[in-house]
Amino acid sequence: MIEQNLLLILVLLPFLGAIAAATLPVNAHNAAAWLSGLTMAGGLVILAGFYAPISHGQVIHSVVQWVPAIGLNLGFRIDGFAWLFVTLVLSIGILVVLYARYYLAKNDPVPRFYSFLMAFTGAMLGVLLSGNILMLVVFWELTSIFSFLLIGYWHGNPNARDGARTALVITAGGGVCLLASMLLLGQIVGSYDLDVVLASGDIIRAHPTYLAVMVLFLIGAFTKSAQFPFHFWLPGAMAAPTPVSAFLHSATMVKAGVFLLVRFSPVLGGTDIWFYVVTGTGIVTLIMGAVIALFRHDLKGLLAYSTISHLGLITALAGIGGSAAILAAIFHIVNHAVFKASLFMAAGIIDHETGTRDMRRLSGLIRMMPITGALAIVAASAMAGVPLLNGFISKEMFFAEAVDWHNGTWLDNALPWLATFASIFAVAYSARFIMSVFFGPAPVDLPRTPHEPPHWMRRPVELLVLICLIVGIVPDQTLGPVLNAALGSVMGLGTPHYDIAVWHGFNQPLIMSLLALVVGALLYALTGRWVARGPEGPPLLHMIRAQKIYEWLMLRLSWKWPRVVHGRISTEKLQPQLRILVLLSLAVGFTALWNSGFIGPRAKWNAPNLAFGLMWTVGAACAIAAAWQAKYHRFAALVLLGGAGTVTCITFAWFSAPDLAATQLLVEIVTTVLLLLGLRWLPRRRSEIMADRLLPARIRRGWDLVVAVVAGTGLAAIAYAVMTRPLVPNIGDWFLRNAYYEGGGTNTVNVILVDFRAFDTFGEITVLAIVGLTVFALLRRFRPAPESVAAPEQQKGSTSKMLSNYLFVASVIMKYMFPVLIVVAADLFFRGHDLPGGGFSAGVTVATALLLQYLATNVKWIEARITVLPIRWMGFGLLIAGATGMGAWAFGYPFLTAHARYIDLPLIGKTPAATALIFDLGVFALVVGATVLMLIAIAHQSLRAARMRETDDDTKPDAKKEPA
Amino acid sequence: MELILSAAIGVLSASGIWLLLRPRTFQVIIGLALLSYAVNLFIFSMGRLTVGVPPIMPKGGFVDPTRYADPLPQALVLTAIVISFATTALFLVVMMASRGMTGTDHVDGKDKD
Amino acid sequence: MIAAQHLVIAPVIIPFIAGALTLLYDERQRRAKLGVSLVSTVLLLVVSIELMSRTKGAGLTGQGGEIAFYLLGDWTAPFGITLVLDRLAAMMLMLVALLAIPALIYSAAGWHKQGQHFHALFQFLLMGLNGAFLTGDLFNLFVFFEVLLAASYGLVLHGSGQVRVRNGLHYIAINLAASLLFLIGVSMIYGVTGTLNMAHLSKLVALLPESELPLFRTGAALLGLAFLVKAGIWPLSFWLPGTYMAASAPAAAMFAMMTKVGIYVILRLSMLTFGVAAGPSAGFGAEVLVAAGIATVIFGVLGTLASQGLGRMTAYQVLVSSGTLLTVIGLALMGGGEKMLGGALFYLVSSTLATGALFLLIEPMSRGEGGIAAILALTADAYGLDQPEDDGAPEMGLAIPATLTVLGLSFAACLLVLAGLPPLSGFIGKVAILSGLLHNPALPPMLGWGFLALLVFAGFATLIGLVRIGIQTFWAAEGPPPKVLALEFAPVLMLIAMICLMTLKGQDTLRYMEDTAQSLLNPAIYANGVLTAPSVEEEAARQEEGTAQ
Repeated sequence: MIEQNLLLILVLLPFLGAIAAATLPVNAHNAAAWLSGLTMAGGLVILAGFYAPISHGQVIHSVVQWVPAIGLNLGFRIDGFAWLFVTLVLSIGILVVLYARYYLAKNDPVPRFYSFLMAFTGAMLGVLLSGNILMLVVFWELTSIFSFLLIGYWHGNPNARDGARTALVITAGGGVCLLASMLLLGQIVGSYDLDVVLASGDIIRAHPTYLAVMVLFLIGAFTKSAQFPFHFWLPGAMAAPTPVSAFLHSATMVKAGVFLLVRFSPVLGGTDIWFYVVTGTGIVTLIMGAVIALFRHDLKGLLAYSTISHLGLITALAGIGGSAAILAAIFHIVNHAVFKASLFMAAGIIDHETGTRDMRRLSGLIRMMPITGALAIVAASAMAGVPLLNGFISKEMFFAEAVDWHNGTWLDNALPWLATFASIFAVAYSARFIMSVFFGPAPVDLPRTPHEPPHWMRRPVELLVLICLIVGIVPDQTLGPVLNAALGSVMGLGTPHYDIAVWHGFNQPLIMSLLALVVGALLYALTGRWVARGPEGPPLLHMIRAQKIYEWLMLRLSWKWPRVVHGRISTEKLQPQLRILVLLSLAVGFTALWNSGFIGPRAKWNAPNLAFGLMWTVGAACAIAAAWQAKYHRFAALVLLGGAGTVTCITFAWFSAPDLAATQLLVEIVTTVLLLLGLRWLPRRRSEIMADRLLPARIRRGWDLVVAVVAGTGLAAIAYAVMTRPLVPNIGDWFLRNAYYEGGGTNTVNVILVDFRAFDTFGEITVLAIVGLTVFALLRRFRPAPESVAAPEQQKGSTSKMLSNYLFVASVIMKYMFPVLIVVAADLFFRGHDLPGGGFSAGVTVATALLLQYLATNVKWIEARITVLPIRWMGFGLLIAGATGMGAWAFGYPFLTAHARYIDLPLIGKTPAATALIFDLGVFALVVGATVLMLIAIAHQSLRAARMRETDDDTKPDAKKEPA
Repeated sequence: MELILSAAIGVLSASGIWLLLRPRTFQVIIGLALLSYAVNLFIFSMGRLTVGVPPIMPKGGFVDPTRYADPLPQALVLTAIVISFATTALFLVVMMASRGMTGTDHVDGKDKD
Repeated sequence: MIAAQHLVIAPVIIPFIAGALTLLYDERQRRAKLGVSLVSTVLLLVVSIELMSRTKGAGLTGQGGEIAFYLLGDWTAPFGITLVLDRLAAMMLMLVALLAIPALIYSAAGWHKQGQHFHALFQFLLMGLNGAFLTGDLFNLFVFFEVLLAASYGLVLHGSGQVRVRNGLHYIAINLAASLLFLIGVSMIYGVTGTLNMAHLSKLVALLPESELPLFRTGAALLGLAFLVKAGIWPLSFWLPGTYMAASAPAAAMFAMMTKVGIYVILRLSMLTFGVAAGPSAGFGAEVLVAAGIATVIFGVLGTLASQGLGRMTAYQVLVSSGTLLTVIGLALMGGGEKMLGGALFYLVSSTLATGALFLLIEPMSRGEGGIAAILALTADAYGLDQPEDDGAPEMGLAIPATLTVLGLSFAACLLVLAGLPPLSGFIGKVAILSGLLHNPALPPMLGWGFLALLVFAGFATLIGLVRIGIQTFWAAEGPPPKVLALEFAPVLMLIAMICLMTLKGQDTLRYMEDTAQSLLNPAIYANGVLTAPSVEEEAARQEEGTAQ
């Protein structure tokens, strides 16, 4: 139990540390460093506690449920391999923190640095300790994200930005593939539990999707551990502060990839394809990295490529598989971490003290900084694989594996040669590192005068180099047990115990090493000067830089090509969009209708009536003419529209829908008036637009005509098909039956509107209100185009006197219409429930009455006499309607339940007084308010224009004066 | 009758759609108006055609639904009329505003063709 | 208990009353209006929580135990209009409230002064949304769609100005056309089946005679098309990015919800009418949905990569999300199973919250020094306006420290969610969909694989695009950090908090979603429930019988 909790704490600790660090003040260098260091130390303490059980091959689990529904749980497990790796990460982490304390400048904001560093460590531990492969992906992506933030720490520098972005895109992309492969694995195995997955290698290898799983998995691992062809993000990441590089590229980030390879090689490995792909990639990376490293002039660049090369070596081992190879891989993971971390730190010191990392400018530093020099030389020798240093032993093991027979394929047989070739270059670049930096003449015109760094900055390097030596001399006594424990946990039961010795006798691997040392030294001795003079990179190869290719591709894939394609498949114009909409609805309609049975049974059929036919010939003519005239003769089009509307209206009356007829008529009037008022603000169009004559315009019109005709025919056909069908038993009958008895009104339509389906009306009036408000709000900001500000012809050259008795007779008539219309409205309103009429028609009538007053007299006159506050009307209207609805609650009935009875009103007589009537009152008020609001708002624009005219007249003279 | 009415619906909608696809705001608004006529008639026609039997009930007595026009489509059309009136008004004002601000009555706010 | 029973309609009534009340105030009394508006929105949240807890129930009883019905005017279905509150509806109501409160608070930082009657329009928008989620009647659905569309027209144009008017014109024109389609579809369905009630419809579909099917399907298809326009499928969504960008920030944040209404209705109707029980029409349109969804995702991804500004990018993210959802709905019609559908619902919520948050982030992120006043003035003249009539300086709330950090973190959170990267809810949703899809034998494996590839690719592209913007904004920017008011931060942080909560409570949330999906996949529960829901009078009668015996 305790162990479970300790395990959780181990993972959580760094994250907590990160949060704590984030809260520190910007310049708290010491505090932040102490915090981070202690957090990691705490982790190490816990690990020490775990050592005993782990070394006996025990595995400690701990699970916290997160989303069990999809098998996503915070499951952690620690075994020998994980233990070794976590210890490595945390120990080097502490050293990096110590180093960073002295490396970072005074003005660098430290909380951000340390909190990212801690969070990254946490994510890394998560990857190493996850017992659930989905959680593994989670932490995996977290490492990508935090490394992005770390690499971009100095984001003022564009290289840092690009490096960070490249790293993120590549590694996160790989992570996405890893996710896919893990999902598939989970589907194959039936569980996301790592133990289950590790136990079912045979099922997986036999499964049809094995290949896909493996490829996706490998993309994930290779991107992370910078294998060819994904290696290029790593040199780019060198823009990070050196402590970050030392951490990311020795023990953590890149090692996560090889960790995964080693961990899964027993599961996915063992097949030829695995061998070819993994070992092949590893070898290619090994050689390429080594070769390029020799030709880099930048210290960190050289180290970066050497890192790539060493990762290639480990990958190759993981590809070979088998316990010996895995042991070698694990061992080299550790050794590389140790010497590479120290080398990065040394490089950082050199950079820090001399101000440059260019090996062509550096030389003879051994005089100025002897201790650092000595340390770096030892570490570099370890990198080169010089005997009695840790690098040598694991390299020997690698050679031994290369020499062994595995499957006799050409790659297998070529391994020894390739390995030797690569390590020749390894020796060469190590030699270059040592010779060009520390020996030779004293350096000239360095940015700073070099000297030894502060002690504590050097301590980490000293410690690491010491480890290189000790492990190099007495490997078995130091790391032997741990390595065997790790190996056992990876390979499972029955793994042989290996004892790691420095001296295996005078055998083939030793020969290879010596050969590599000698030839490598010669190689550098012969080509050193030439290389230093050469370009940044191998002779011809430096022409093709993966980085460049990547950037070229990225730019096109993620920016240019999408823009082009996107431009092709989208448009900003309105007409094409509407055209697509119409065409799609045509397509949809016809495909759905295609399989026939369309016309169906024909039941009823009213004999055609001549008058009706004639009426609609006129109507159709109006419609077509309106369509034809709408562009150049708007007024005519408006009149024709009215014609079509009237015919529609009559049709309603004809087919026993008096309510519709009435409403349609009223709406018709108001709409026409609105359009008339609006017409004035459109540009005058007397001359035809030239473009309309041109061919493309003609073609477009023709094409649209076809579309329109087809669509129209379709709609007509459907209407015909439905109309000629027998009336299906529908809910309408129920309304007819219950209108009077239940709804308390004889006009079924109205009863439906205010009672059965009053909720529709409820929404409908809201729409009206909203539109009123929008119109009002929009017109508050209305700015007429200058040309339409000018007075209309009728008013040209007419004095205000003439204006006042303009349309005199008509205006008088209209004035006296007012009371009449009000009475009509009242009648419409009260009879509504029984006869055609109702709140809406009444409201529109009143609005029309008011409008007539506006037309009859000028606005000022009318507003001096009648003051309507439309918005208040609307507000109250809505509230009344709502209140009526809620009234029903008092009687325990649902919203809008109506209560009906008839009462005798004086003058008006027997009136249906349903509560619905009150609801209708709300409708009435709202309609009056909204309609008047719109009409007045638009009418007012003329006033505003007039005002603008006046102001113009005032300003013009001044404008004339100014030049004088 | 059915034939004539459906033909009418066809013509109205056809001219409406043609206008809908035109480049000038006023054309579009007229088109929408015509279309809404067509659609209203269409909805109405879904209740089949009946002459001279408005859905106005006697006060009391037995009611035979088959003797009256289907009231529901009428109610729907009423709502639809009101809503389309509202939206037409809105579109009109937007048209005015756009004309005022962009200086053209082209639907895209710029005279490209 | 009367009040409890009437709570179902509260999500429609509360904003309605609030909107009406704000009309009674004068334009100058903005604080009062804001107050009313806020109160109503908070009430909405409370109510929606209550309703959701009510729908949870204990597992599926098959009696529709968790579904609440509300017979308006006490008329029984299918004659009257029935409101139906099931898991899905409750969830959407909750989402609306969760999105509305932050948007409203944000608007208080100054946007609500940019034009007339912002709060009324906002409340009516909420009313429309809630109504659309609750109603069980096709034509009533149309009415509420019109309510929310009209309100959205108002909000798009809120603040006026050239860009808004031009985009508003397109938006309105297209949606009017779509509404006409809607009407045609509804009336055809009525003409053929003789009902408007969704539950009744789902019963009748199976019984339709062969001769009626083509007409019915045509109606359904046209109806579907109308909703697909709202949901913004390719190629009917070109209006969307421009419109969403032009809209003022709070409006845009609410618009993150608008496409989801289309999705919701498609989900609801297709499950009700073309589910397994639909006989010959079962699974109608599934292929179309899948194809359209995939096309939309691709289009959204291309748009994301191709756009420079964060606003446009976010708009395209909205498209990606609705494309994903449509595809899943299509797959569900093919028998995708409740696990996948549940994951999709989870994804719906989290992506909506994230896009909403991004819409609120756009303006602070792209703001130089000068604060809210400057930006408003700037929009004002950028949009070709005379200065808005200004009552008092905009509330200068305390501009909070470490602006860039907070902005950066919020942006990163949204990025993670939208790209489906761990550890936030986006990842959970995506994994839930995919594992549900892969573990389901009912579907052809190639389909699952293809969709997996598509989602993974979409997430990756989103990452690339958004990181580009993020680096430009946070790393490559010179000059002093922008001044951002607490009033603008709080809403974003609220949304982020929601996302984090979803992530932590992943299990419970996902369980709720899966149950929701389950109940969607057996529409019979819904239908029977609606058709047997008793009116108050019937209840009374029954009780009397009970007492008599």
